[in-house]
Amino acid sequence: MNRSRLIVYRLFISLIYQTNQKKYLSLLLFLLINPSSTTAQENHPEQALNSSEQINQFIQSQWNALDCQPAKRCSDLEFVRRVYLDLVGRIPSPVEVKDFLTDERFNKREMLVDQLLASEDYVQHFTDIFDTLLMGRTEEDTYAERQQNGWRAYLESTVRENRPWNEVAKEILLARPESKEAQGSVWFLYERENKYQEIAEAVAPAFFGIRIECAQCHDHMIVNEIEQRHYWGLVAFFNRGKNQKSKTGLNIVESAVGGFSVFADLSGDSQPNLLTFVDAKTVVEERPKNDQKQEDDDELYAKAQLDGYPRVPQFSRREQFVKEIVEGHPLVPRAMVNRLWASLLGRGIVHPYDEMDSEHPPSHPELLDFLAKEFIDNNYDIKRTIRSIALSDVYQLSSIRPQSVNDPATFAWYLERPLTAEQLARSIQIAVRGSFKNDDPLVGSFRQQFTDVLPDETVVNISDVLYLSNNQEFDQFLSASVEEKHLSTQLLELPSHSARVDLLFKRILNRSPDKHETAAIEQYLNQREKTIKPAIDQIIWSLLTSAEFRFNH
Amino acid sequence: MAAGAASAASFNGLFSVPAIAEETKKQGKKCILLWLCGAPSQFETWDPKPGTYTGGPFGAINTNLPGVQVSQLMPQCATIMDKLAVIRSMSTSPSEHFQGIDVLTRGDKPRPPFTRPILGSVVAQQLGQLDSPVPQFILLDPCPEGNEFKGFKAGNWAGWLGAEYGPVRAGGDYAIPNIERAESISELDHQDREALRSFLSKKFENDRKSEAAAKHNAAFNRVNGLMSCAPLFDLNTLPIADRERYGGGAFSQHALQARHLIENGSTFVMVANGMPWDNHVYQHEMHQMLVPELDNVLFQLISDLEQRGMLDDTLVIAMGEFGRSPWLNEARGRDHYPTAWSMAMAGAGIQGGVVHGATDELGVKVTEDAVDNRQLFATIFSALGIDPHEEYDLPGLPTFSRVEEGTQPIKELLKNA
Repeated sequence: MNRSRLIVYRLFISLIYQTNQKKYLSLLLFLLINPSSTTAQENHPEQALNSSEQINQFIQSQWNALDCQPAKRCSDLEFVRRVYLDLVGRIPSPVEVKDFLTDERFNKREMLVDQLLASEDYVQHFTDIFDTLLMGRTEEDTYAERQQNGWRAYLESTVRENRPWNEVAKEILLARPESKEAQGSVWFLYERENKYQEIAEAVAPAFFGIRIECAQCHDHMIVNEIEQRHYWGLVAFFNRGKNQKSKTGLNIVESAVGGFSVFADLSGDSQPNLLTFVDAKTVVEERPKNDQKQEDDDELYAKAQLDGYPRVPQFSRREQFVKEIVEGHPLVPRAMVNRLWASLLGRGIVHPYDEMDSEHPPSHPELLDFLAKEFIDNNYDIKRTIRSIALSDVYQLSSIRPQSVNDPATFAWYLERPLTAEQLARSIQIAVRGSFKNDDPLVGSFRQQFTDVLPDETVVNISDVLYLSNNQEFDQFLSASVEEKHLSTQLLELPSHSARVDLLFKRILNRSPDKHETAAIEQYLNQREKTIKPAIDQIIWSLLTSAEFRFNH
Repeated sequence: MAAGAASAASFNGLFSVPAIAEETKKQGKKCILLWLCGAPSQFETWDPKPGTYTGGPFGAINTNLPGVQVSQLMPQCATIMDKLAVIRSMSTSPSEHFQGIDVLTRGDKPRPPFTRPILGSVVAQQLGQLDSPVPQFILLDPCPEGNEFKGFKAGNWAGWLGAEYGPVRAGGDYAIPNIERAESISELDHQDREALRSFLSKKFENDRKSEAAAKHNAAFNRVNGLMSCAPLFDLNTLPIADRERYGGGAFSQHALQARHLIENGSTFVMVANGMPWDNHVYQHEMHQMLVPELDNVLFQLISDLEQRGMLDDTLVIAMGEFGRSPWLNEARGRDHYPTAWSMAMAGAGIQGGVVHGATDELGVKVTEDAVDNRQLFATIFSALGIDPHEEYDLPGLPTFSRVEEGTQPIKELLKNA
């Protein structure tokens, strides 16, 4: 299929549609009648477009409106490194690069995306991302707890089975698992140790893509729709829960009584904390009159469906939250597709991705609506959304910014972004050792240092550079990487400096060096003929800490 | 409030910026910002209202300026009021920390999509020497937390000036992690590998006009300079007598370190300590601890700078992002209050012994000479000999000014004005 021709057709169709001017129609007809290489398919531009093509249209129509010239399509070499990093969280090996470059199938990018999405590395990478988005970065002890208490395994299983996001969201927020496999889902609430405000402040961005902290003491000063009653309403949905350790594992038991309070705004007026939230109804609940104390009573509870699990209130606030607020809430799908878009395109359609409020309008409102609708229509299918975005033209643009465009919200070029700690730690292992372990100590050391995931903008911290320059753990990792099969050993066995330079570049930067690079590094190796081993180690460091390695581009 | 404040500025119509810029020797000017994050109370510092129902439990004391009183929690500053300029009529808009910090450290509200550089970045760019190994903009803040300030710290400080003008952050155990070269790497290897890295990375930056790579390379350049002056960040190299004089707290020690860094070639040092001033609970008890520490630090710093002949070139600023409410909340805290608050400055082109503006008897409203963030920043820039109205032209955007809308500095606060 001739893609550029198809784009031209669409452009005209959208012009006719937008301007209602017939003069464009004759131009379109002219193009249709006089194609140089018409295929049957191209004669039917009106046929249903797949999701990626529809994404292209939304993006393209804004480029047209802004008279914006996007970057050119990226090369296969750029694509293969980029898509490995974005979908499976690591650089490809030289063999994987070669396989892709020599693949002659016309749809090889699509085939590669499908292959990656079906791999276990995809599961690990997106579990890393979701873990950070839902739980945040933390200390290594807490990472260990997330592992021991089944949270990591639970998240992995939801990604591996590609479970519908609305189901997973409700499971996590209800925290009343119905199977052993889902036991880890309680950890989202459990880690926050009955701190109900902390829970509310985590639930809002994680599931609804909004920040509500500012509404604790008063209605949000800037974002009108986020009110103080929403903050305390969200707190109330969770404030009857209590962490409990039992034979069946960790539970969040829920009381049938209590949790009533009033909150006061800055002028001193107070209101009851009704069960409500932004863009949602208020759940009706009987409130005790005049501070009467409610008696807790067995009759207020039902037995748990599974033996050994805690009893369940007849009126459960968490259950109400999941059924009445989460179910069907417009922000739940929008927050997820916006975040998936951000993770692949470097910024959200709403930016920052966790401030989806009236102060942060989407750059492409129709695209966001479309992605959310597709997501809902396809049973909240995360993997399908990722696939549609990865196969769109906008994902496959060069990362060199066209000089005429400045605004990253046009998505007119692929936005460079730093690798996350996990992407970096895996990629370094692959480059230096040829394989990687997700639990290598390097991963822990890196995620304590490089904490950003989907940053609002690229900031290079001095502390990160100091780490790469002088950190002992990193230094020891590199100097320990001298065993057989490891990069520096292989390099020493090669017959010439030019062969060494070539392998260094292919292993670390996934490409061959150009003549300037070869010349510079050969010259260095010649100078260091007598101490070649440490010289090679310095070259490896310089490649691993180069901007080209540090960023996805 | 802000609109009224802006019109008040036009009374300073006779002031001419170029004249000031000429008189103030630009070269060698430096700045220390004591960033009182969380927002201190004006009642317990510069604008006491003793005996009123908003005034709180502390009294007021006389100062060496006739007729001017400060809180009894500031006995040392009371003896150097002739060197200080105090504004009692700050009146700004944002009442939330994040927005307040943004406006009072950058000088104005955000104008997306570009980020206005923070004061320290502007001063480092205008007055600093980028080829100096000593970082020109240093943030000393030992606290990894700090609510909204934590989030703010994670953001982009240098804005459109670019990453090389961002701060080098130190603090914590008063040392920068990973600043020492690993013992396993020889000095020669270290130099070689950095030369190689720089060659490869610069090539990538140039070939692709990569903005991310430019930030990356700038950060490596900074680190190389930083490693060469690592001992400057070691507080243990400072005389014990000085350390005791400043006091044991992190804020005090960092104020001393700020003096040391300025003496050794840095241009802007910002001293913070998380967000300790946000006393929504037990305001009086908290301020009873915080204000005397500030009082001592300001006194020591200004006295030291003067003794060393550096006060004429070094501007010291002590302020937060707004003030605190005249009334107490139920937790005996004072809440956020941008309507009428105070701040203090000394040194460089600032005229000492001036108290500018006033509030009503309960401290609820500004009654004289309201000052907004633009007037304040125009004054700060003028005191440092930096043109407050220089324009930034960014492709595809309306022109930015260092201080917008030609807002004039406050003449009364400037020497030679």
